[in-house]
Amino acid sequence: MQPNDPEIFDVVAECFAEALGLEPEEVEYDALVIDELGAESLDLLDIVFRLERAFKIKIPRGGIESAARDGLADDEEYEVNGVLTALGLERLAAAMPEIPSDSFQEGLKVSEIPLLFRVSTFCRLVVELSESKDA
Amino acid sequence: MARFAFLVHPLTRLQSGVVGVRRLNWGMVFGASGKGAASGKLCDLWVDGLVHGEVVAVPWNPVELLSDQDGAVDAMVAAVENLEDVSAVGLGSLLAVVGSRGEALAERVSVPVTTGGAATAWAAIGNAEVVAKTRGCDKVSVLGFGGAVGRVVAEGLSAKGFEVIVGGKGRRLEREAAKIGVELVTPEIAAGASQVVVGASTTGGILDADVLQEGAVLLDVALPPTLRKGRLPRGARVLSGEAVTLPEGWKRGFWGTLYHWISGYGSDQIFACLAEPMVMSVMERTEPFSLGRRVSLGDVEEFADAVTCLGLSPRLPEGWDVS
Repeated sequence: MQPNDPEIFDVVAECFAEALGLEPEEVEYDALVIDELGAESLDLLDIVFRLERAFKIKIPRGGIESAARDGLADDEEYEVNGVLTALGLERLAAAMPEIPSDSFQEGLKVSEIPLLFRVSTFCRLVVELSESKDA
Repeated sequence: MARFAFLVHPLTRLQSGVVGVRRLNWGMVFGASGKGAASGKLCDLWVDGLVHGEVVAVPWNPVELLSDQDGAVDAMVAAVENLEDVSAVGLGSLLAVVGSRGEALAERVSVPVTTGGAATAWAAIGNAEVVAKTRGCDKVSVLGFGGAVGRVVAEGLSAKGFEVIVGGKGRRLEREAAKIGVELVTPEIAAGASQVVVGASTTGGILDADVLQEGAVLLDVALPPTLRKGRLPRGARVLSGEAVTLPEGWKRGFWGTLYHWISGYGSDQIFACLAEPMVMSVMERTEPFSLGRRVSLGDVEEFADAVTCLGLSPRLPEGWDVS
């Protein structure tokens, strides 16, 4: 997949590269942040910090999960004992449209959600947060 | 006399309360957030005639630091600007993590800032070497190869002739493992592959305790700890991987003694990250040994040479090898 906004992707890739000690060319749009780029939790923090500074936005912690849970009356509609329900998977998939649908498999744990993150996830977040800031 | 500062923050409710008492912030004593309060001195630690350290508490809790990194950096800048006459500043716990691992702070202040990675790696390598040689092992596992400390620990142990197995995944790590001649496997396999395991993952709670071998020693430098709660296999134990002996003539006063206890140092040791700014100030060194992702084996070796000025060495608890 190609980035929707190459200019934004270039800056996002630069932030990833600085945080992970990579060359920008090594940061691919569809790359899985943890499994392919080797990021750990501290790296995600660093990436978020750099993106916030570069784009002058605020990326809320747990924002994706909050979006997925939004409007649900009960936590158990979303997850039971840390495992996403069918509805939870559906809501998460809707909150992460850049992720291939076959990634949202039955049995997915809440703790495994970061494993789904791709560079494109952060590009989308930057675009959405920038647009809502400007609105 | 050399002077340094070490910035810390409360990790627990108890630590928040102690900071509150020390800083006369009664709100913090009774559980209120310290985020709006100014940073201030927690204690002095010193060796007469050689070095004086000031431990400064930035009163933000972990959630506050992680959810407002910009604000956290501003608070650290304010804390540093209030310091007098220090030649190095070290960062403890999450203060060494937020703001691009100290880089954002370093850009805004004139005093050198260091995050303790070189010292932590030096202590972990030294402690792992002692454990491995005591046990007659020539193989060591290192978790957290994706992080700067994990990587340099793996490289350092490999350079000392150990067979090193590292835990991590991804193309980048495959490349780096091949470059330094270590074997890359999943963290679970790495943790179970050796009697000596160094836990340097920056994501705590990554493994269940039962992945360790019976009788294994996990030298943990991770915060939060590497293992999830659970029963350890028979004879296995977890030791602090970054513990360092006290400098000779170390003094702490009342508040410093309290700091030693509530920070987990105990009475006979400090953690390596405190040693790094201390050594920098004694050496009058302006270049940090570590900052951000920048810590190399060369930095660790320079630190190892420099730390002899204070007579420090990596430390394992007495009786660690007694079943």
